[in-house]
Amino acid sequence: MKIGTHFLATTLGVQAMGLAGQDRILAYTFGMAVDVDHLVKLPYYLRAVGLHDKRGYYWRSSLQEPVALLWILPLSYFLGTIVPVVFFAIHVAMDYSVRFEKMPFFPYSPYVTRGWLTGISDTVKERVLFTVLLILNVVVYAGWLRA
Amino acid sequence: MHERLPVLVRISDWTVRPVLRFLHLKLGATPAHVTWAAFVFSVAAGVAIATGRVHMGLWLMLVGQVLDGIDGGMAREFNLASEAGKRLDDLLDRASEVAIFAGFAIAGIVSYKIVVLALIAIALLTTVAQRARFDPGLKRFALYFGIWFPYPLIFDVIFLANLAGYAIDLLIIDCQFQADMDALGGDLDTVASRAAAMDGGRPLSAGPRRQERAAGAEPVPADP
Repeated sequence: MKIGTHFLATTLGVQAMGLAGQDRILAYTFGMAVDVDHLVKLPYYLRAVGLHDKRGYYWRSSLQEPVALLWILPLSYFLGTIVPVVFFAIHVAMDYSVRFEKMPFFPYSPYVTRGWLTGISDTVKERVLFTVLLILNVVVYAGWLRA
Repeated sequence: MHERLPVLVRISDWTVRPVLRFLHLKLGATPAHVTWAAFVFSVAAGVAIATGRVHMGLWLMLVGQVLDGIDGGMAREFNLASEAGKRLDDLLDRASEVAIFAGFAIAGIVSYKIVVLALIAIALLTTVAQRARFDPGLKRFALYFGIWFPYPLIFDVIFLANLAGYAIDLLIIDCQFQADMDALGGDLDTVASRAAAMDGGRPLSAGPRRQERAAGAEPVPADP
C-alpha cells in the first residue's frame, strides 16, 4: 500500500486509541516508518534497473514481513506496550492485501505469496481503503473536537 | 565479528600456540574436550553468581571464555575444525549464557523477565549471525562492565544490542538475497519467486506467478 494510506491508518489508530508521547512515536514508527526498507533497496533498484519504471521489482525486506514479529514481540514486551505489535500488524495486513510478491518468513523459509484478496484490483482496494480511512479519520477527529 | 578479522585470529592462535600444543599433544585433549571444559566453568560461574559470589563467578566465567577461545585455536592448529564442532561450540555457548544469566536472576540481581528477553534476543541473533556475518558480540562479555554499571542496565543493553543485531542481520541477508535476485536478471516480475525457489530447492513451477499466469491474473503492480 502507498505511504499515504499507511499514514491514514496509523493516524486513525492513534486517534482511536488516544495515544500520546512515546506510544504515538511507536505507532508511527511501526505503522509507517518500517517502509524505510524501500530506501535500503533503492541502490539495488538503481543498479539493476536504473531510472526506468520497472513493475514488480522486489522492494520489500524482512523489516515489514511477519517474520519481523520475532523481534517486535520481545521489544513490545520489554517496552511494556502492545502498540508496536498492533500497528505493525495493521501495516502488514494492508500490504498483504496488495498483490506484489512477498516472502513472509524469509530467511527461514523461501515461501512466496501474494497475500489475500488477490481477485480484486489493487487500485480499487487502495482507493476504497483510502476513502474509508479518510472519512473515519475526519469522523473521529470531529468527535474528538466535540468532546 | 572476530571471524571477520583473520589477522586477529592468527595473532591469538600464535599467542596461545604453546598452550594448544601442550593440551593436545601432551594431554591428548581435543577441541570438544576444551569446549565442554569451558561449559563446565560457565556452569560453575552461574552457580557462584546465584549464591551471591558475583566476583568469583566473573573469574570463573573468564576462565570459561579463555577456554572457549582455545578450542577454536586448537581445531585450526591441528586441522580438527568441523561443522559438528562449530555446532557444539555454538550450542554450549548459548547454554553457558543460560547458566550465567540465570545465576543473576536467581541471585535477585536482575529480573527473570530481562534475563529471558536477553536470552531470546541472543538466540534469535544466533540463527542468522553466521549467514549475515554480523554479530555485535555483546553477550557474556558485557557482564564484566558490572564493575562500573548496574546489572539491570547491562542486561537491558545486552537485550537491545542483540535484538538490534538481529534486525540488522535480517536486512543484511535481504540485501544479499536482493543481489542474488538482481544477478538472475530477466523479468523482475518473477525474480522473487525464482530466487526463492532456487534458495529453497523448490521447482519454479511451484511459484505463485506461474499459477496466476495460468489463471489469467492481472500484471503485478509496483510496490509503493
